[in-house]
Amino acid sequence: MGDFLQYVELNSFLHRLDPRSKFVFFIIMSVLTSFVKSGAALLFLFLVFIAIWLIGGIGSYILVLANKVKVLLLFIFLLWLVLGLFTVNEGPAIFRSGFSLFGHAYVFSLEWFDFYKGAVYALRIFLMISAFYTVILTTNFSQIILGLQSWRVPYAVAFGVGLVFQIIPMIVQEFATIMEAQKSRGLEVDKCSAFAKLKNYVIVSLPLLFRVLSKGHAISLAMHYYKLNFKVKRTSYQTISAGRSDFWFAATTIAATVMTIVLQIRFYIQI
Amino acid sequence: MSFKIEKISYQYSAEAPLILKNINMEIRPAEVTAIVGPSGSGKSTLVSILSGVIPELMNKGLLTGTFHHKDDVMISVVSQTPENQLFGYGVEDALAFGVENLGLSSEKISERVESVLNLLHIQHLRKRAVSTLSGGQRQAVCIASVLAMKPDLVIMDEPVSSLDPKGKHLIQSVVNQLRAAGQTTVIVDNNLDWFSDIVDHVVGIDHGEVVFDGNRDEFFADAPLAQRLGVIVPQTVDIYHELAKKADDLKPFTTVDEAYAALKDRFVSATSQQAADTQSPSEHVLEVNDLSKSFADGFQALKKINAGFEKGKIISILGQNGSGKTTLVKHLNGLHRPTAGSVTYLGKKTTNKSVAEISRDVILVFQHPEHMLFEENVYRELTFCARAQGIPFAEKDAMEVLENYDLLKDKEELPVNLSMGKKHLLTILSVLFSSAEVVILDEPTLGMDLHLRRHLEAIIHKLKEQGKTVILISHEIPLVFKLSDQLLVLDHAEKLAAGSVQQLAENEALFEKIQIDLPPVVRLSKKLGLSPLACDVASFAAQIDELQKIGGAERG
Repeated sequence: MGDFLQYVELNSFLHRLDPRSKFVFFIIMSVLTSFVKSGAALLFLFLVFIAIWLIGGIGSYILVLANKVKVLLLFIFLLWLVLGLFTVNEGPAIFRSGFSLFGHAYVFSLEWFDFYKGAVYALRIFLMISAFYTVILTTNFSQIILGLQSWRVPYAVAFGVGLVFQIIPMIVQEFATIMEAQKSRGLEVDKCSAFAKLKNYVIVSLPLLFRVLSKGHAISLAMHYYKLNFKVKRTSYQTISAGRSDFWFAATTIAATVMTIVLQIRFYIQI
Repeated sequence: MSFKIEKISYQYSAEAPLILKNINMEIRPAEVTAIVGPSGSGKSTLVSILSGVIPELMNKGLLTGTFHHKDDVMISVVSQTPENQLFGYGVEDALAFGVENLGLSSEKISERVESVLNLLHIQHLRKRAVSTLSGGQRQAVCIASVLAMKPDLVIMDEPVSSLDPKGKHLIQSVVNQLRAAGQTTVIVDNNLDWFSDIVDHVVGIDHGEVVFDGNRDEFFADAPLAQRLGVIVPQTVDIYHELAKKADDLKPFTTVDEAYAALKDRFVSATSQQAADTQSPSEHVLEVNDLSKSFADGFQALKKINAGFEKGKIISILGQNGSGKTTLVKHLNGLHRPTAGSVTYLGKKTTNKSVAEISRDVILVFQHPEHMLFEENVYRELTFCARAQGIPFAEKDAMEVLENYDLLKDKEELPVNLSMGKKHLLTILSVLFSSAEVVILDEPTLGMDLHLRRHLEAIIHKLKEQGKTVILISHEIPLVFKLSDQLLVLDHAEKLAAGSVQQLAENEALFEKIQIDLPPVVRLSKKLGLSPLACDVASFAAQIDELQKIGGAERG
């Protein structure tokens, strides 16, 4: 839980990249995974991602992500599988049967294609999430602000985005601590029914809300203490610049994109 | 440059009562000024006015009077929670943040960053991520980030309240450097103990009015005032006032060396008749056996800890941050499960019980009350544990508790609206209505002034009288020595020692190893050759009194 949804300090090539290179990677991959529906193309992209994660030394963190989103991915897979049961597709069927309900005739048909479709949608979602997560894991919020500023994003917006990534780990930690504190006082969340568990989680959200509000207040005071004024031009201590690694990373991203599009065109099966 | 406050009054709205009433004071250049006063006295409002939060950010109140300063004056604040104040992932980013807002060139920013790193001797932290710093280091970086803006006045609001002894030492040395460098500084903190050597000027506020304005020694000389304002003074000052009740000619002292010089010739050193620690051990209500804990990232937080907690005793766990104290107590109430070894309550392993089930026997009160409070009023919060655990309670008893601890008037108040100290007191009071035989208090003094600490001490004694075991984690070492029967000392995940307070107080090497100073009363007892060692002011005064009588009898 500790390292989830936050930057991880490592000295990998991904960490050393100019944040703008990673932003471009994220944007391209988000667009690509929104359009590509070919299993072969997505599988290729997945292999490229795996290579990047392994070389970047963040493989274990991606496994943590996969563990966290496995229920979501399973839900997506099953959703498309169940929807597919009511559609007759080409290709070998595993099970097919007709029945009528309220005078309407239906065909219940399970084909290998339904599994393919479910897997394609689950993989697309995972690649979208993991592209974002790759950037989050390897870019700290100060670099995010610098990167956005260099793209002429107004400082108020860049600072706000950076602040979100600074605060998310704090809130995650606060929630875990509040849960521990409430359990310690006798609130049962382990050995109880799902309904009681849900009710108790709602109870916990109140102190979390108060903590978040109090943090927000403290942060706004701190902004005042540091004379932060979004209307006044501020300067910057750190600078960012693209290097040789950025060139190779960009080249890899472009090559992977081209290859994915080619595979999409050549191996696309209508789904 | 001095800052003059003239006739400042403030109320949060036209209908609200006056929070500050006709405040007149001066903050003198290159001095350290302490602003002290009980919870709700108006200190925080005064800080808001000095820092410009009132009226720049909060402009709905009614402010009258004048705060004289130059137009381009720079005043900045160091808060008690640096994690909410530092902007930037790395230390350099955080240090540069304020200076970047001033629009200086990158060369100037570099110069400023270098200069504060050198001034506060924290060059070794410059490449670290803020999140990896200890509490003390984080506060030092926070002070440095404010100093980089070259403020004319730095205000520090309880800067060491959540730090361990090592962190406090670091901030003490940082404030010392600032004083030497001629920085005008205001410290708002009711604990004068940690910066008593540094402070030049004290301003006491009570009910929105200045009730004291003078130097440190004048403040220390007025014990009733310090009591009234709820100010925690150095233990040596308490010793002086206690002894001075029976010795009018005693010369005032504030340090252990001065106290020794004043006392060494006043009595005959001998073994006191006071009972030494000869109590036989009682049964262990809670035990840990070969307890080890390794986390998923490989960090070993506890290494083969064996310890027993006796029924009806107050046991304090001592050690620096990271020594394993919190990890150990989280095993006692089931929040952590051991990698190896076991925890037993009344001889039975707690392994298969949920945390809520264990809380009926072993209850842990967390250090930040805001993690615990969620009921709609103070009364319901007080009785939360009883209701969660299904323990019957009488409304009359709950009302009596609220009355005894000055919370009756807040009965219908939303708990989060109370002062930090009162919030903490409330969470601790709620365990009085639980069935737990073991009560664990993690940093219970957070946010408490002297008045609330007295209440805390009374609660702990009450629990002990009821035969309950109290396990205490606190960085307030004089308080630990005053309250505890036994100590358990941890260092780098290992148990270093366990025993009675008297026994361990003799072991100077132990305290040197864990870098925790023995309380002044213990050090003075040692210097004076008292046996047994006194661990609190009352027993020290009683011993001195007895030895003076012996000395008088021998002489006369």
